[in-house]
Amino acid sequence: MDMKRDYYEDVQLFESNVVLFWTVVLLVFLFTLPLYVPSYRFSLFNLVLVHVILAVGLNILVGNTGQISLGHAGFFAIGAYGTTLLMTKLGLPFVLALPLAAFISSAFGFILGLPALRLEGPYLSIATLGFGLTVTHIIGHWDFFGGRTGLQVPPLDLGGGFILKTDVQKYYLILIITIFLVLSARNLLKTRVGRAFVAIRDSDIAAEVIGVNLLIYKTLSFAVSAFYAGIAGGLFGFVLGFFNPEPFNLILSIVFLVMIVVGGLGAIAGSIMGATLITILQYSLLKNIKEVPYVGPFMVDISSRWFTVIGLENLNSIVLGLIMIAIVIFEPLGIYGIWLRIKKYWRTWPF
Amino acid sequence: MKGKGRFWAVLFTISSLVLWTGIGLCGAPGFDDKEIRIAAWGPQTGPAAPWGSVARAPAVLAAMINEQGGIHGRKLKHFVRDDQYNPAQTKVVVKELVEKEGIFSFVCGTGSAGGLAVKDYLAQNKVIWVGPATSVKEYVFPVQPYLFSVYPLYEDEGSILTKYVIEKLGIKEIGVVYQNDPYGKNGLDGVRQRLDHLKMKAVAEIPVEATEKDLSSHVLKLKSAGAKAVLMWVHPTTGVVLVKTAATIGYKPQWVASNTLSDFELMNKISGGLWEGIITGAFMLPPDSDDPRVVKYREAAKKYAPEERFGVFFMAGIMFTEPLVEALKRVGKNLSTEAVLKALNSMKNFQGVGPKLTWSPDQHQGSDSIQIWKCGPGGKTILLQDWTVNELAHWKKK
Repeated sequence: MDMKRDYYEDVQLFESNVVLFWTVVLLVFLFTLPLYVPSYRFSLFNLVLVHVILAVGLNILVGNTGQISLGHAGFFAIGAYGTTLLMTKLGLPFVLALPLAAFISSAFGFILGLPALRLEGPYLSIATLGFGLTVTHIIGHWDFFGGRTGLQVPPLDLGGGFILKTDVQKYYLILIITIFLVLSARNLLKTRVGRAFVAIRDSDIAAEVIGVNLLIYKTLSFAVSAFYAGIAGGLFGFVLGFFNPEPFNLILSIVFLVMIVVGGLGAIAGSIMGATLITILQYSLLKNIKEVPYVGPFMVDISSRWFTVIGLENLNSIVLGLIMIAIVIFEPLGIYGIWLRIKKYWRTWPF
Repeated sequence: MKGKGRFWAVLFTISSLVLWTGIGLCGAPGFDDKEIRIAAWGPQTGPAAPWGSVARAPAVLAAMINEQGGIHGRKLKHFVRDDQYNPAQTKVVVKELVEKEGIFSFVCGTGSAGGLAVKDYLAQNKVIWVGPATSVKEYVFPVQPYLFSVYPLYEDEGSILTKYVIEKLGIKEIGVVYQNDPYGKNGLDGVRQRLDHLKMKAVAEIPVEATEKDLSSHVLKLKSAGAKAVLMWVHPTTGVVLVKTAATIGYKPQWVASNTLSDFELMNKISGGLWEGIITGAFMLPPDSDDPRVVKYREAAKKYAPEERFGVFFMAGIMFTEPLVEALKRVGKNLSTEAVLKALNSMKNFQGVGPKLTWSPDQHQGSDSIQIWKCGPGGKTILLQDWTVNELAHWKKK
């Protein structure tokens, strides 16, 4: 059923009308979300979308090109600080500042891509790790970047005095950007460039032999990935309203990697599912359980008997960790793998 | 490729349909006839977790009050949320609390970035915030109508401590170690304010990063500058490393530290007993004091939260909540946000276990005074000087 008969079938956006139908249903659902969900949820959804953008970009680098990065929090920070500073210091409008900051981030990605030509595996991860730590250190040191205090984000002016104030309005903006970037990633991976990435992942020597220019494609992969992180970072600033260098730490880089590993390496749908799941788990899992009748007091009792005084919050971390471990052990392809199996099962159902 | 055109057409139609339907935000009410809901955020997990006890403590005060029948018949209900010291998480948990549970007032609230990220949101939703668990200038200058600060400014603390060192201890050679952030710089400003007033100069002013672990060069600089007293506005870990490093090279100045390092029991433990003799500022009565107000809270903590250590930061959580409770009591049966704001704005020389508080509609920095403590043997608190006002405080001259 998945047999492709010609090239255009491989590159088309929708494999069938069924896929088209469900895509439209999903989009309608996403665009009408404020009708079903209370508005306080949207600062969480905005974070989810921001992380989706970043995870899709990171997956191009890690899943498709086979390079590793422990420095994506650095690109994320460059995007956030770049956008805010371009708007406040140079007075650029948002529509210019966001892509410009992303291009700055992607320039850094290009530079970081150069050592990737020589380094592999653990060595590359150390190089990128160093980059991520350096960025936040420099930002924290200079008052120009707001130092350790942080920066106040300007109002999100789309131009012509149209200012997005509420989370729901920002949600629509971020949603549209996310859809655009996800589609771009999908298209990119179906072109010559995308196939070159995959060739590098599978064997960079073989790729070079068949004519893939490693210098161009490895650095390009870093640059594209950093561009996505830059856009995500820029939007992240507006979701927060105020930020300092603290959140852009090593742990964040690792959480980003966790998102794509749990979601499924090398699959765009995997990045989306992984980013959504991890963000929601991290930000809202069990946070309110204390107030749930019966279950809440029971959990509090357990945690005060067996854990430290901090209590329930420990439980959150443990459950989050267990879910991640379980997914990676039982489904190496991540959530995307589970999705594939469900699809396969229904394809032959009821036979 | 025909799918593509159709796709964009559909996308465009949907987005133009729903894009600009503005949905106004509104918080759920923070109280009803039975209860008043208050809440605090703070790091409960992650590296900053030791500061999380501040956020948990108001629950003890709430339990005490509820046992006596509540405030004018309404019980206090306290919510705690973990934000892992991450402003993104602060924003998510605060919004959820305000719009889902309905919060009348926040108390405590640890972490300056998280606080700055949510303060405007709280004001827009008319949620009061009393006693942020840190001193941030942006919280009080210019005045924020819904935010009432209890914590003394680090600047005033610096000024008062410097005066004490010069006048009471008679030490003229003063060195300063400050963390390279607003906390440290405000402390430094206070030291400078006092020294400028006395036409003196510090012998050394050394910035440190919170992440620095090897401080031997800083200690040598202090030693060679001949500092006989060293004032520090640093992270607890940095403070311990400084004192330990100095001890290994036999350099023994009088160490003087900010109130954030005044948890003597803890500091003495992690410094291996070296904290003894160190002088710090303090923003409330010592938790091991025999003052009846403190004893009352200590007993309550033993009863309602036996697993908690009744240290400085736990008691601080109660201290930050006291003025709100007082305002709620003064308002009486007809509770409303406006009435409580009015009561808070007219608070004059109110004192619980913290400093004297005075708020007015155009001044929400409640306190200008600190106590001065000394760490005694085994982490016991020795009170050196009772509440002291910074007579040079710039913000009070108007």
